[in-house]
Amino acid sequence: MTATAARPAGLRVDPVTLTVIDNYLATTCREMGIAMMRTAYSPMFNESLDFSCVMFDRFGRMISQAEFCPSQMGTIKFTVEWMLDELGADVYKPGDVIIMNDPYRGSGHIPEHTLLKAVFYEGEIVAFVANCAHLAEPGAKAPGGLSGDATDIFQEGLRLPPLWLQREGVAQEDIWKIIFANHRTPKTTHGDLMAMVGSLNVAERRIISLIDRYGMETYQDATEDLMTIAERRMREEIRAIPDGEYTFEDVIEDDGVSDHPYTVRVRVVVDDDQITCDFTGSSEQAEGPMNGTFAVTASAVYNALMHLTDPTIPRNEGVYRPIHTVAPPGTIVNCEFPAPLVGGNTELSPRITDVIFGALSDAIPDRVPASLGGTSCCFLFGGEHPDDGEFYSHFHFEGIGWGGRPRKDGNSQIIVINGNCRNTPVEVFESRYPIRVESYRLLEDSGGPGLNRGGLGIERILTMETDSITVSAIFNRMTVDPFGLHGGKPGMNSGIYVRFAGTQDWRTFTDAFGTDSPSKFANLTLRRGDQVKIIAPGGGGWGDPLQRPIERVKADLDEGFITPAAAESRYGVSASQAADGTWDVAPAAGRGK
Amino acid sequence: MTAYRIGIDTGGTFTDLVRFDVTTGELSSLKVPSSPQEPLQAFVGSLKASEVPLAQIDGLVHGTTVATNALIMRSGAKVGFICTSGYEDTAYIQRVNRQFLYDLTWDKPTPLLRSRRHCIGVNERVNAKGQVAVPLVQAEIDRVCQEVEDGQFEALAVCLLFSYLNTDHERQLAAALRERFPGIPVSVSHEIAPIWREYERSSTVIADAFVKPLIQRYVSSLKAGLLDYGFTKPWSMMKSNGGLMDADAAALNPIQLAMSGPAGGAVASQRISQLLGLDNVVTIDVGGTSADVGLFLNGQITYTTEYEIEWGIPASIPLIDIKTIGAGGGSIAFINTGGFLQVGPQSAGSVPGPICYGRGGTSVTITDANLHLRRLNPAYFNGGKLQLDESLINAGLHDLADRLDMSPTQLALAVVDIANENMANAIRMVSIEKGHDPRHFALLAFGGAGPLHGAAIAKKLGIPTVIVPPYPGGFCALGLLMGDLRVDKVWTQAFRSDRVQPDEVVARFDQIAAASADELREQGFPGEPTFEYSINMRYLGQNYEMEVAVPALRSGSGIDASSQLQEAYSAFHAKHHSMYEYTMDDAVIEMVSFKVTAIGPIAHPQISNAAAAEGEAPTVRDVVFGAEGPVPCTIIRRKSMPVNQRMTGPMIVEEEGSTTVVEPGMTVTRNEYDILILEVNP
Repeated sequence: MTATAARPAGLRVDPVTLTVIDNYLATTCREMGIAMMRTAYSPMFNESLDFSCVMFDRFGRMISQAEFCPSQMGTIKFTVEWMLDELGADVYKPGDVIIMNDPYRGSGHIPEHTLLKAVFYEGEIVAFVANCAHLAEPGAKAPGGLSGDATDIFQEGLRLPPLWLQREGVAQEDIWKIIFANHRTPKTTHGDLMAMVGSLNVAERRIISLIDRYGMETYQDATEDLMTIAERRMREEIRAIPDGEYTFEDVIEDDGVSDHPYTVRVRVVVDDDQITCDFTGSSEQAEGPMNGTFAVTASAVYNALMHLTDPTIPRNEGVYRPIHTVAPPGTIVNCEFPAPLVGGNTELSPRITDVIFGALSDAIPDRVPASLGGTSCCFLFGGEHPDDGEFYSHFHFEGIGWGGRPRKDGNSQIIVINGNCRNTPVEVFESRYPIRVESYRLLEDSGGPGLNRGGLGIERILTMETDSITVSAIFNRMTVDPFGLHGGKPGMNSGIYVRFAGTQDWRTFTDAFGTDSPSKFANLTLRRGDQVKIIAPGGGGWGDPLQRPIERVKADLDEGFITPAAAESRYGVSASQAADGTWDVAPAAGRGK
Repeated sequence: MTAYRIGIDTGGTFTDLVRFDVTTGELSSLKVPSSPQEPLQAFVGSLKASEVPLAQIDGLVHGTTVATNALIMRSGAKVGFICTSGYEDTAYIQRVNRQFLYDLTWDKPTPLLRSRRHCIGVNERVNAKGQVAVPLVQAEIDRVCQEVEDGQFEALAVCLLFSYLNTDHERQLAAALRERFPGIPVSVSHEIAPIWREYERSSTVIADAFVKPLIQRYVSSLKAGLLDYGFTKPWSMMKSNGGLMDADAAALNPIQLAMSGPAGGAVASQRISQLLGLDNVVTIDVGGTSADVGLFLNGQITYTTEYEIEWGIPASIPLIDIKTIGAGGGSIAFINTGGFLQVGPQSAGSVPGPICYGRGGTSVTITDANLHLRRLNPAYFNGGKLQLDESLINAGLHDLADRLDMSPTQLALAVVDIANENMANAIRMVSIEKGHDPRHFALLAFGGAGPLHGAAIAKKLGIPTVIVPPYPGGFCALGLLMGDLRVDKVWTQAFRSDRVQPDEVVARFDQIAAASADELREQGFPGEPTFEYSINMRYLGQNYEMEVAVPALRSGSGIDASSQLQEAYSAFHAKHHSMYEYTMDDAVIEMVSFKVTAIGPIAHPQISNAAAAEGEAPTVRDVVFGAEGPVPCTIIRRKSMPVNQRMTGPMIVEEEGSTTVVEPGMTVTRNEYDILILEVNP
């Protein structure tokens, strides 16, 4: 600590002012988020918070972000770079707002729309503010946007190159009309996009008042310094990882169209203060929508490495500088136009963090957790609402169990690592959509057994309360396990099943509808009384479960996180229930203590 | 006959009592050490110390942090959580997001329940339209009662789905539980927080149940203590929303006391603001471990329902929008792993306290830094009751300073500056970024350390005026005497602007107003209440509402209901525009809930006229305000200041409970109400 404690050389602004400005910028990003939450129309925004708010300097370099979705904050760096490159430097006027969602121009996938606004101070551009948000209805083949069986990008929704949504404060009606004509829920789209505009307005005001306080020179020097500090600190963090080459691979189990797995292979090269993640050797791009663009892959690489380094480093352009991604074109990690890719951002992204974690698990064993559940459990639906005849459309997802950690259990039911969304309250969900949520429960035994257990997944049961509803899904980890580490066992698989009204059995969608994949499909019709069961996977275990102290096995029994059968078979602990409902435990044969 | 009203504010370190002579208007205050182990002792002790004859007490109001502390320290009851079957894990699943990104060591917060096994599902269901989908049958009620009995709980929390739309099942269940278990308090979600979002409502009702046995014991212990002392009249407590409620009623709804402590300060602030004719005011109450920030717009306190016990554990009750951050006199300065100096939120508390207390503290705190800068007088801290020892702080200060390649004085300045920036940031979060220009606000600073930092915070925010009220150290206790009895009632039902029948809204408001007035009378209010009406509105499709006041939407108001509603819609559009710079002109407006507040006014203390200058003559001491180093500074006792005479800084105003810093170039005026008014850029 002492080596870095002195004021770092080469900085122009004093450390106190830097702290202040860094906090101020992050606070501003949070405020942008609050504005969006409070004004948006879709539960995707106002309950789930599936959006990110980020600030860039006048050159388009990221200067701040906050606790939003990591995958979006990684891709938006590329999105904004692309927009500024394509549009040029001198085309913006105060009050302009530009929209873009094209994945082949740096967006994560079509549902994610980025809005960009230049901030002016005394006639000069001093910053760009941007937000990126997942619209529940982008006009794709399937309601909700994530078509599990799409075979090209044109099936994934309305693709918008950088376009002026607003010029000098005036709405560009032509663009709005095109959008409204293509989205199934134009009113919601309008409300959500306006919420994004309002959020940019909030950020613009704050940047101007920051410069009012500190002056242009200090503001610009401080953002430059903060990038320098972030870069320096990230390089120090990387230097602390032993130099070497580390490899790991895992699979995307299928792509919704063909039934074979796709390998995601990484070679992590740590070279002094730089790190390269090379995905050479990964599978060719998929026929179905499990591909990622380079931006998605690079974003997932950033996300993985930020999780393994000091979380207090300021989040700006500087942290990305020592991190390099090699992703051969035409592969699943860098697909080429017009490959479908809508699931890459939700499903490939966590698999990339998984394999980087796996690769580094021996290099920095005290930091790397076992695999998290690793899927967003995307369940999409839409139709005409029986109450008012209006079209509705929704992208539903679930939290998952996170992997057991070197020093403690994994968290149960937390959103996947590439997002930081909330669930939608059942009372909001049922008020908006003709589906009843029968139950929403933690799933015992779903956490991978280990010295440190994986977090638990959930089971949710939905009953359709409408005569006709169109459903789609993109899940992973349904047939390939969330892996354990250092002797830890896998977490429970995900699942999505259907039970038709008046029948008893839960069936896979492949069995019931003949879909190519049990976990990825689009545009199936369910009827009143049909039920869907969603299982969100658990996290992998860390360390040998037979080494788990017996009192922690007992605590898991007392809390109902594991069953007595699992205590016996997985942890080597026999259990009998006492009169007060707690458990008496004893080591079974073959267990040390 | 002389009559007094008494306010007693119990904090973690001190108990403040303010005595108000109703006849003469005279105010006086005193401070005794708190007795956290035996709360009664300091409570009755302060009353004895005030030397008011019992017969002359005409009103006693109590504000306390006991509920707050129980929530934060997790020292509440063993709660059984009773919910709709299928939702037993609501309190454990929560909202599934993470507080921090990139931090693999972060742990999801734990609910206030002791075990997941303490969640009991009930087979029943109300749907999103408020219709019963699965009836609640007697056999099921019996089964639940049996589980409750087996669980041996100390308190029960009931939260059924959609109970904010249809209360029948919750009422049936609660009635059965209360009958069967008369000794166990039962908290019911539609009574405590009739709001949508099952997790937030569940968390709130669990929090209520969690503190209920404790608060009931607390209230009955104080009652018994008062009886022993011979005081037999009813007394009241301050709720988190600044209203008063009878102590017995508070014990039935204890989550309302979650912010009882700081609420008094907000109420007193409002009075000071009115006195000075200030519309827009930010308040900051800086104590030993935390700073509480509040906001007044158009002379009105702002309220919120988004309180969190800790991140991710909400208690959605109406409370004054106060943001608390870990910045107080005891906040500790340290160097983080990145080499940056940071201050707080860790605090040295009162034991061991700042290094200069000489009680064994070794970490540099804000108080130590202020002492080093000579802004504090070591011989007159808390009126001289605590001698500060400056010599103790050098070692700690040097250590930090050397590591940052700074002088000790530069370090002390940096510590104070970072703390000020953190407090300024809290002010920005609560207020300014909701579209309110700081240059149009005044900063009201109180608490022991508020006046010490107010000027610097104001400078950072571009706030032109700092107000330091009388009794800044005991200001929350003073506020207890400025509250009114208050009943808030909310009725949830959605109406659309394109379909609503204005008369139906009026009829409902009449009905809720009558019920609120009844409740106020039950709490012993004899007079005629006043009412406030508001509607929570949003554009149809939005999920969050804004509250819009509808002053006269009552029958007999003489104003046409339909034009009242039109006015309210315009007010909503305007409010939306001022925050986000856009409106949805063609959108239908949805009215989500309707609120009535019945207020029973009580005689409040008036802030009396300041006596002319008295007491000691000013002295001079070298004080550090900035990089230029020590400058000679006038030190004056508050009571010695001339009235209505503008004086120029640098100046330090000392009084028993606080110290006010007037930086060089600023001016200070003690006005006729004994209020200090600092002009930041005169």
